[in-house]
Amino acid sequence: MAKTGTWIAVIAVILLLSVAASLLLFSRPAAGHTAEIYVDGALYKRVDLSRITSPERIEVKTERGVNILLAEPGRIRVESADCPDKVCVEAGWLASSAAPIVCLPHRVVIKLTGETALDAEAG
Amino acid sequence: MDIKRIARDAVLTAVALTIFIVELQIPAPVPIPGVKLGLANIVTLTALFTLGPWDALAVLLCRVLLGAAFAGNMMALLYSLTGGLLAFLAAAPMRKLLTERQIWVASVFSAMAHNIGQVLAAVLVTATPALFVWLPPLLISGVVTGLFTGLAGQFAVRRLGKYLRHTNGK
Repeated sequence: MAKTGTWIAVIAVILLLSVAASLLLFSRPAAGHTAEIYVDGALYKRVDLSRITSPERIEVKTERGVNILLAEPGRIRVESADCPDKVCVEAGWLASSAAPIVCLPHRVVIKLTGETALDAEAG
Repeated sequence: MDIKRIARDAVLTAVALTIFIVELQIPAPVPIPGVKLGLANIVTLTALFTLGPWDALAVLLCRVLLGAAFAGNMMALLYSLTGGLLAFLAAAPMRKLLTERQIWVASVFSAMAHNIGQVLAAVLVTATPALFVWLPPLLISGVVTGLFTGLAGQFAVRRLGKYLRHTNGK
């Protein structure tokens, strides 16, 4: 039987590493101004957020459901979705962190990249 | 399988299912996909440490299947089944390693295993390795929630253990 202190130490180390990794990953500013929308791992649409002048809605239709995205100058979010958990909607704006927005039930992923979209209608 | 055992495991399943359904009504505290208290794990943990792995597994599987049906979210069944089984596999071997006052440790590891499973499933399903960025925050959440449910489970084992074990007799 290991002492309780040993277990606490092991867990504390994991916790500290996770906190450090989280701070490192999430304090990093967004990589770029091009939003890439993936469905099932395949590129669905690319939106250059720096070229958007007025709010624009993008409908992402998959065989599993629909996500309505709202793109504004420099940022993008999921406005509404018919998925059961709405985690993607609550994730808010994708602009300030390296973490992509995920809608797991619909297998939709939105992330920012540094590449500039030459044609907004790729895929 | 004797009737006492079936009845006892059914009662535990009912308790777990009730906790699970009540927890669904609590809104997510942070907008991170997969963060959850996992209160129903208290029952799995209690069963594991008082009755052994087979009863715990039976209660877990029944709760996950019925929970998905009751919540009307069969799509999430795959994730909760993977997560639940991984959590179980992390906790089960720790049964022999821990004293009755260290039960919470098993819960912390089991919560972390659950979160790792979630991220893996998300990466595989969406084919997006970038989703691994969610692993560190989910591990933090796993430690915190695992500690909470683990301590709750530990108290349950200490209070209810003798009554639950009593039903093991012939």
